[in-house]
Order: sequence, then structure tokens, then C-alpha cells
Amino acid sequence: MAQASTNELRPGYKVEVDGQPYFVTGNEFVKPGKGQAFNRIRLKHLMTGRVIEKTFKSGEKLELADVLETDMRLLYTDQHGAVFMDDNTYEQVTIPFDNIGDNKRWLKEDLVYDVIFYNGQPVTVDPPTFIEVKVTETSPGVRGDTASGRVMKPAIVETGAEVQVPIFVNEGEVVRIDTRNGEYDSRVS
Amino acid sequence: MKAKWSELTPEMVNMIHAFLKIRAGMLTQARLFFSERGITEVDCPILSSKASVDAHIDLIYSESSQVYLHSSPEYGMKKLLAQGSGDIYQLSHVFRKGEMGKKHRPEFMMAEWYRCGFTYDQMIEETCSFIQLFVGMLPIQSLSYKEAFKKYANVDITTKSDEELNEILGLHVEPQLGNECLTVITNYPASQCALAKTAHVDGERVAKRFEVYCRGLELANGYDELTDSAEQKRRFHEANKQRKQLGKQALPIDDEFLSILDSVPDCCGVAVGFDRLMMLRHNTEDIADVIFYPV
Repeated sequence: MAQASTNELRPGYKVEVDGQPYFVTGNEFVKPGKGQAFNRIRLKHLMTGRVIEKTFKSGEKLELADVLETDMRLLYTDQHGAVFMDDNTYEQVTIPFDNIGDNKRWLKEDLVYDVIFYNGQPVTVDPPTFIEVKVTETSPGVRGDTASGRVMKPAIVETGAEVQVPIFVNEGEVVRIDTRNGEYDSRVS
Repeated sequence: MKAKWSELTPEMVNMIHAFLKIRAGMLTQARLFFSERGITEVDCPILSSKASVDAHIDLIYSESSQVYLHSSPEYGMKKLLAQGSGDIYQLSHVFRKGEMGKKHRPEFMMAEWYRCGFTYDQMIEETCSFIQLFVGMLPIQSLSYKEAFKKYANVDITTKSDEELNEILGLHVEPQLGNECLTVITNYPASQCALAKTAHVDGERVAKRFEVYCRGLELANGYDELTDSAEQKRRFHEANKQRKQLGKQALPIDDEFLSILDSVPDCCGVAVGFDRLMMLRHNTEDIADVIFYPV
């Protein structure tokens, strides 16, 4: 397996530590006085996102994780999971919903997702930061409520996600949602 | 500076010019500090065929010319001291292979000086005065290596190896040192004596070595200088043994340096990182901000 020295590791590298895959998010060179140099490395778990800090002797080698990040287009979903296609190679892959987790509520056909493969297996699916989705279910706005700033109401969008939208948004309209926090951004139509 | 030469904007060029003037002014002030005290500037060679031997300092070596770039002008300066040069200082670039980070560069500017007949306490005082030229009249706090570990990491140093102590120092102690003051760490464990004399203090053998910190930055490393060639030789061999254990090459010992060491008068010496002083003066946490040469 390929390795990299602590001196080369920069944010963006993917390494394997204690059998787990991590993104490198920080690397601090520490060398007190006449003592031995070491590196304090910040790592973010590829799947869980948990952040840890580890200390390595300077020059020590870490295993590089077999991680591939690819843009893939969602073709359709079925009972087995979501089927994605690589626009460049036309290769298709079915990713079980278990590996998609909470992001299942942002799956919309024909959108391009960031898919991460670890040891050849798809492990995470990240949606675009903003997606445009149709409101499929919400109560009608009540006249008069709009005067007191932005009053919100619950709505369900075509991908199945539950979001809060302003009271003036009606069923069948398209809204722009921030997938990082599920917050309403603007009305598209 | 993180930009490339070709990417510099007129504003960046103006900033570089302004900074270089300030830096030149600080070099002048440093020289004035030394000349006011009767300390003579010297210019020992940066290239040497023999190395300075440290377990954890790696040197840049030119295979084709078979010379090292010095990691400090220490050996050259001590050869001058042995000839009766009296008090001397050197301002020069020094080189350390592989040291790269927000506080480190493989090439940096060092101010190093030696004072004949100075006591350890006098040397600490003068070092702090020099640092105050750059950081202002901050108060000075002094504590022993042992006290610093107790106070900032709640660690009894007698229960840890040097390697463990080094990690605790770097991660937990250093970041807390010199908070709105200069913190002087004194009386290092004898096992970390480098080129300092050792002495018995409160029944323990300690190295008469000190370091000065400000805002978590290590600024100075000083010694009551060892002038015993037999002891120095033993330490060189010990350092080379450690290097081999770490999988590094042993370094050639400068026999000429050993042969003059007994003639070096009783003195104290210190080395101060000039770029780090500029970091504090300009309130930045990245040394790249004060080394104004684009990569």
C-alpha cells in the first residue's frame, strides 16, 4: 500500500489510521528546544466525520487510504438503493440506502453527487450544497401573517425531506434549499 | 509570504518594502545593543567540513563539495573565544534540514552571542533585555523545567522519559508559556544538557541551560558553557549513538573544536531566533508572514 511521510501530509490527503480512513484536515510541525520533532495531525473520519488529533514522529510514514472521490449522476432509485452513473465512463453503481444515510432525503434524479469510494466500495454520497426541489405538500399560507417578518411553516419536498418554508410558498412551487442544514434559501418559481 | 514573485500585487510589493525597512531597522538596533555592550561582531563561516552533533538537529549537506551548512555558528565562535577574542556576537542564517512549519523554516536568521565571565543569571537578564527590544518591556517570569511541568501539565518529570517529556512540552507546556510576559525556563534535566555545564541544585543534577518563551514561542536557548573537552566528547558520542538508534547517520566529530574547548574561558552564550522575534513584533502566528520572500 502507498505511504506518505508526515512531512508531506497536507489537508486533502486521505490516510488510514488504526484501520480507519481519515481525511487530513491539519498538520502542525512541533519541535521544542533540542528535542525530537513531531507532527500533530488533525484527522476527520471519512464516514462519520468525527475529528481526532494524533501525534506522529516527524518523518514517520502513514498508510494512504484507497479513497476515490467521483462526481456521479443519480439515474434512479429502487428497492435496492440508488443507482448512479459516472458521466465520463458511463459506469453504473448501485449504492445501498444504508451507505447514504441522512442524505437519502436529498436524492433527486439527474443531479450530480460527490460519491466517495473506500477500498472500491461506495461509502458516502454528498449532495450539492444547494438543490432546487418542488414542494409537494404544505398547508396554504394564512393572509395577514406575512407582516411580522418571515413566518415559516413545515413543508415536504419532492425528495422526501421535511423543511421549513416561508408562509407564502405554495404546493407545486420550486424552492432552493441548503442541504448542509436543510434551510430554505429562496423561491425559484 | 505565500505568493509567487509573479503573483505579487503593487500593494504586496509596498508592504514588502515597508517590512524590509522595519526589519533592517531591527537588525541595526540589535547591532547597536551589542556594540553598546562592547561585544564584537564576528562572521564565522557558514560552510564547514565537520558537523555540529545533535541527536535531533539534522544538517544540510552538499555531497559534491562535502560541506555542511551550519545549524549554528557555535563551534566557530568558540574557536575564536579560545583564542582570546573576548565577547563576540554573530548575526547569520542557519540551516536545519526538514524543519518546516508555522514556527519553523529550514533556513532562518539567528543572533548568537557569548559573554566571558558572565554568570548564568546575568546571561538570562541580558537575553531578556535583547528580546524586549522587539516585544516591549514585558515582565519576566522565571521557573525551573521541573516547576514548569508541574504548573502547566501537572507532571512529575522524574516519572517520564526524555521522549515523553518532549511531547508534553511541545503539546501542553510550551503553548502556555510567556502569556503577556517573558517566561524563562531554567535548570534543565542533566540528560538534556546539550553544550551546557551541569550542576547540583537542591540535590539534583541539572543542566545550566535556559530557554526564553513569549506567547508560546521558543525564542532563546542559552548555556553556562561547558569547557570540558572530555565531557564534550562523551556527549558527542552519546548524541551519535542516539542518532543511530533513530535510524539516522552518525555525524563526523569536529576534533579541532574538542582540542580548543579546554581553552575557552568561563562564559555564557545564547542563540535567539530573529524571525520569531519579528513574528512577535508583528503579531503573527505564521513565520511565512515575516520572511518576505515569495516561494
